[in-house]
Amino acid sequence: MKTDFSTRLLFIRILFILAGAAILLQIVHLQTSASASDLRKLGELYSYKRELVYPERGYIYDRYGRLLAGNEQVYEVGVNLSEMRGQNNAQSIASVVSTVLDMDYNEVYGNLTNPKNPEAVYVVLKNYVSLEKGNRLKSIQNEYEKYIAEMGSAKSQSAPPNLRGLELAPHLQRSYPENNLASNILGFYTRNNEAVMGIESKYNDLLEGSPVEVVVSIDPNQIEEIPTIPSGASLILTIDREIQAEMENIIDRAVKSSGSISGTLLVYDPETGEFLAMASNPRMNPNEYWDYLDMKHFNRSVDYPFEPGSVFKVLTMAAALDNGTVQPDTPFVDTGVIEVGGLKIYNWDRSAWGPQTMLGCMQHSLNVCLSWVALQVGADNFYSYLKAFGIGRRTNVDLAGESLWPLAVPGDGNWYESSLATNSFGQGLSTTPVQLVTAVGAIANDGVMMAPHVLLGFVENGKQYNTKPQVVGTPIKKETAQILTGMLTISLEEEASDALVEGYRVAGKTGTAEIAIPGKGYVTNMTNASFIGWGPSDDPKFVVYIWLEEPKTAPWGSVVAAPVFSQVVEKLVVLMDIPPDDVRLGLRAQ
Amino acid sequence: MAQGFIQAYRQAPWRIQIQRIGSILLLMVVAALVAGVYLSISAQSSAIGVEIQVLENNRENMQREIANLKNQIGVLTSAVEMEKRAKEMGFEKVTTYDMEYMLVPGYPGRQTAMLAPFSGTEAANRQVSNPGFTTSLWDWLARGVNYLSEQTDEVLP
Repeated sequence: MKTDFSTRLLFIRILFILAGAAILLQIVHLQTSASASDLRKLGELYSYKRELVYPERGYIYDRYGRLLAGNEQVYEVGVNLSEMRGQNNAQSIASVVSTVLDMDYNEVYGNLTNPKNPEAVYVVLKNYVSLEKGNRLKSIQNEYEKYIAEMGSAKSQSAPPNLRGLELAPHLQRSYPENNLASNILGFYTRNNEAVMGIESKYNDLLEGSPVEVVVSIDPNQIEEIPTIPSGASLILTIDREIQAEMENIIDRAVKSSGSISGTLLVYDPETGEFLAMASNPRMNPNEYWDYLDMKHFNRSVDYPFEPGSVFKVLTMAAALDNGTVQPDTPFVDTGVIEVGGLKIYNWDRSAWGPQTMLGCMQHSLNVCLSWVALQVGADNFYSYLKAFGIGRRTNVDLAGESLWPLAVPGDGNWYESSLATNSFGQGLSTTPVQLVTAVGAIANDGVMMAPHVLLGFVENGKQYNTKPQVVGTPIKKETAQILTGMLTISLEEEASDALVEGYRVAGKTGTAEIAIPGKGYVTNMTNASFIGWGPSDDPKFVVYIWLEEPKTAPWGSVVAAPVFSQVVEKLVVLMDIPPDDVRLGLRAQ
Repeated sequence: MAQGFIQAYRQAPWRIQIQRIGSILLLMVVAALVAGVYLSISAQSSAIGVEIQVLENNRENMQREIANLKNQIGVLTSAVEMEKRAKEMGFEKVTTYDMEYMLVPGYPGRQTAMLAPFSGTEAANRQVSNPGFTTSLWDWLARGVNYLSEQTDEVLP
């Protein structure tokens, strides 16, 4: 009996020892076999998950800290199919979701019962659902649960209605609280995480921050804190929202009343190179960017070079005065025509204006006179001045999509002797509004040209970094700038221009450029009407440029654009706290 | 003699068995204690791990909520909304003819947004408490001695 027991005990011992040895052998085998590393990786797959954490996209503010672009919470509405099948509630989900989210019931039901991928365990019904609608769905879901709890266990009934399996995953999407205000400056950020045009594109690296890949342990014993990912930098623009809004109202009205194809209005600080407003019509609502994808020009201020016309005479006269070729009172007898390089140049009204001074030439915008002035300056000097004013090269303004029209100069294949004359009054060459404003800004700023920009500063990692105004050149002398400003102030006053503003002396010049049509040449009744002006004349605080494309009511800049300048200045002096000249000079004397 | 001595003091077999059983039980108790402590710590660690996950989720939710609230403030204070509200309250847009200007000495004009301390400035680290609260007794004595010696130097011929 005892022997039997001992034998059995021995047998059990051997069995355990063998089993232990087998386990040990298998452990050693697993650790050292050829597929050990693969097995280890397979194990890690179930231990950790790698997540790419995107920081929140930085905000965009106007110069006084008012939000222009932020982020709002939205939901991705989806269904956990296995849970839904367990509850047999596809009809309930389809019914509620289609009602709340304005979707077709059959389509939703079809997606749930016959998903495109038969092996799918989760289907997305709709993404970017607003917070309001998402919360409504949550509320209905909770009401169902409450009802089920009151009625007893859900499983006790055959199929009580419920929304189990319906999941709402919150996330952020780009939002523009001002809708279409300054949209041509901001650009937009798509749902595919693409920054398109404007500030969004230009400063995308700053705004998006640095995505960080983190390893998250699934084992709760090994969970570590996910590192704080700093959000993208927030940008502060030079744009003043109030000025921008007023300018957009003004240009919208001007485009409508003149029947123009488009309108552009810039307000620029000549002392710093900051744009206070950059209004554009038409413009988009970046919250619904998909409705505007066929827009030809997103921001005409930077992406549409065109022949500026007579406003360009300001630069021609600046070159001539600075060069010493002419003085404000230099006489010129206008015969109504001048021939340059075989091309006859006429005045805008094709008439002869007789004896004039340079002041009169600018006041009456005489093409013949300005052609003569350019000839006196000489081609080499003239184009040197234009280059100094930045014509023919990009301004490098910090907005995406800046276009360039190369300046043809003597020696180029597309430059002719007559080009000197036509260029003198802004035909035969092209500039963008930003180029022109930057160049004329030098005249308003005592000859010093500033780098145009729209970024005032940015906030990154809890610190604010402000940009500093940069001088990009001094194309003309201070005296020249002041003389020319004086000339253009008097010319407006003597002409009794519609651009004048009571109580404020301003300088400015109208522009009416004929538009060249391929195959037809210049067409007289199709023009670009414009006005560039600055003020107050004795201490300019703003440069304003208005461009109306192909106005229908009248082709002339003096008729359609000059009155807009007056409206703009009336608003600007209030918004920029600029007192009337007599008050300002009186206060300065105190 | 020696044999008799050993016999006299040999443990009774039942005592040896009890000792062995006691030792095994002691080992088992120790093992159970170690296992218990391990399980307890492991459970606490897991609970804290889950809590960290919950807190991280909360943090993400709050960040989204903050972003959303900022956006809502942006919508409520947008140019169009503010103008609408101002009109409803009876305000009118001012024109240059309605304005009266006065000189305010020292007023620098409207300043641009400062959303964070400027880079390069030490505003964030600036000491706001009275230095007296952080000065050590030794520093106070040294400063006093320095002050006295400076006073003495000044009166010396």
